[in-house]
Amino acid sequence: MFRLLPQALATAVGLLAFCAGGARADGLADIQKSGVLKVGVFADFPPFSSVGADMSLKGYDIDVAKALATGLKVKLALVEVTGQNRIPYLTGHRVDVLMSVGKNAEREKVIAFTQAYAPYYIAVIGPKATDVKGASDLADKSISVNRGTLEDTSLTAAAPKSADIRRFDNYSAVMQAFLSGQVQLMAVGNDVGAQVLAKHTDIAPEQKFQLLSSPDHLAINKEEPALLKVLDDAIDGMKKDGSLDKVSTQWLGKPLDPKDLVD
Amino acid sequence: MLDFSWLPDALTVLASGVATTMGLIVVVTVLGTVLSIAGAAARRSRSKGLRRAVGAYVELVRNTPFLVQLFFIFFGLPGLGIRLNAVTAAILAMTLNMTAYGIEVVRAGLEAVPKGQGEGGAALGLSRTRVFLSVVLPQALRVIFPALSSQIIIILLESAVVSQIAVRDLTYEADLLQSRTFRPFETYLVVTGLYLGLATAMRRGMEAGAHRWIFRGR
Amino acid sequence: MDEFSTSDIVINLLLAARWTLALTLVAFLGGGVVGLLILAARIDPRPWLARSANGYIGLFQGTPLLLQLFLVFFGLPLLGLQIEPWMAASFGLTFYASAYLAEIWRGGVEALPKGQWEAARALGLPRSACLRLVVLPQALRMTLPPAVGFLVQLVKATAVTSIIGYAELMRTANAINNATFEPFTVYGMVAAIYFALCFPLTAYARRLEAGGQHRFGR
Repeated sequence: MFRLLPQALATAVGLLAFCAGGARADGLADIQKSGVLKVGVFADFPPFSSVGADMSLKGYDIDVAKALATGLKVKLALVEVTGQNRIPYLTGHRVDVLMSVGKNAEREKVIAFTQAYAPYYIAVIGPKATDVKGASDLADKSISVNRGTLEDTSLTAAAPKSADIRRFDNYSAVMQAFLSGQVQLMAVGNDVGAQVLAKHTDIAPEQKFQLLSSPDHLAINKEEPALLKVLDDAIDGMKKDGSLDKVSTQWLGKPLDPKDLVD
Repeated sequence: MLDFSWLPDALTVLASGVATTMGLIVVVTVLGTVLSIAGAAARRSRSKGLRRAVGAYVELVRNTPFLVQLFFIFFGLPGLGIRLNAVTAAILAMTLNMTAYGIEVVRAGLEAVPKGQGEGGAALGLSRTRVFLSVVLPQALRVIFPALSSQIIIILLESAVVSQIAVRDLTYEADLLQSRTFRPFETYLVVTGLYLGLATAMRRGMEAGAHRWIFRGR
Repeated sequence: MDEFSTSDIVINLLLAARWTLALTLVAFLGGGVVGLLILAARIDPRPWLARSANGYIGLFQGTPLLLQLFLVFFGLPLLGLQIEPWMAASFGLTFYASAYLAEIWRGGVEALPKGQWEAARALGLPRSACLRLVVLPQALRMTLPPAVGFLVQLVKATAVTSIIGYAELMRTANAINNATFEPFTVYGMVAAIYFALCFPLTAYARRLEAGGQHRFGR
């Protein structure tokens, strides 16, 4: 059967026909007309969005999405997305808004961003007793990090040569190494960090300093100025009335710091 | 419309993905073949405990998905203090998988060799191991080879999911590429074609090798 | 984060296993129907039809299931179809199953004595009636063991659909694992559930095979 490469390829092409999508009106009009705001969220990204014991979604993103829908006076429909499919979901108008999207130049070519609504940064965390204020203090200290991640790259770039960077292959291991004292410090995103800060008060871990900040934005399709404005206003409103601070305190363990929302 | 303008810039990463995938397959083929022969021998051994243990392993692996085995090894085993990096975990999972099928293949091959052949060897005063390695196994290979080479192709195709534990194989590179090009369909189409090409080339290579070394003189 | 008790984990996993079963059934039945069409084309006297069917089979047996699912998932929207993960999973696995089933059944058809065809044709039956009334019933019965064996492969294959976001057993396990950080427990249980689904089928296939006189190795 493997002698049939040319035939197989011909069949593949035969199975496909192609067409392009047409132009659309502003997403805001669609949302108001249908009465539903479709928001794309992860199912496995605590504490922003993850499942509870009843398998319903909860977290920072979910609370913000609920507030957005309430503000627009429409129903909320949460759509579970994966890292692979979420941008195609948005550009294919399967969802109106994506949550937890970091802004970068490549993405800006295909989608639009609101202002930041949640902090996402990589920080060095250590016990209160350890005196670390910046990257140069990492000299001769042992630090756990998840291998090959953004944390790893930014830590490796920032730390002095004598820093003992121990690379693990998943977050449980990174956290366990730190909590069990195998390493003095750990470098993680604030999503993972929040769980450590909240859970294990016995060694009094605290955040020492940030390595890199890439706050989360809402993402929408390009050329939807009306929707963009409504969402930006909604975030402004939540910042002013303190509701975003409440969400942050509940899921990240502390109120918002405006500095953390700067790209 | 389909857009392949990203392809020229992507050739290097695709090549590196192909190299990783093929590297995994080569290592797993060697380890898996050796372990399959050892496992099949163990299933013929005189120790009941050993036969049972190998049998249980074969059933366990054949009746659970490869993806679950991979996640259990990579994410679950650290709970027992066993920490493997992604590539090692992938090689372990793939080898365990290939061996579970390979043992049955080798066993069927060994059973196809007439009993008298082994007895003849023993009558010449050869040791049990010697008889197995120089009399029984070479004949069994003629039965084993086609089935085992199909198994290697299957492992190649299954290996695409090791991208899920961040092994930088061909599928992982495709995932990264599509998150930059925003052309998922075209990216996966190209990569699917590459897998088809790899599978075809491997199949032909193994057939040619078999004619040269195993079925020689036929 | 700690609100999951062990029984919560078990119950949620068992509930999710229903979707694994549902997908398996849809794919097996859908794959059976499509597979019969592919089989009919594959053994058709018109060379272009037989070759196309052969190409179809080669395509699905020569590329990773994960990539097939990606192509369906990202490809159908290009045709203007809105597609949910469960639809992509059903379509993808149906195509996948049809290729394997067609190939299994072809083995059965080709193993039938030529006289069967000739006798049926001599009775004046048209080709399609021969196939439907004489050849297929025997071929399907004869190939029951490998077909049941493939069903096991299909149950395991459903795990891959977790990657495109279909909330079956494996995807639910990943979501729970990320909320509980207990991978050893979660993936251990998942493996046990898959084993409980697959092992009886494996045992059944083996019994069928031992009972029948025909052997169809894969």
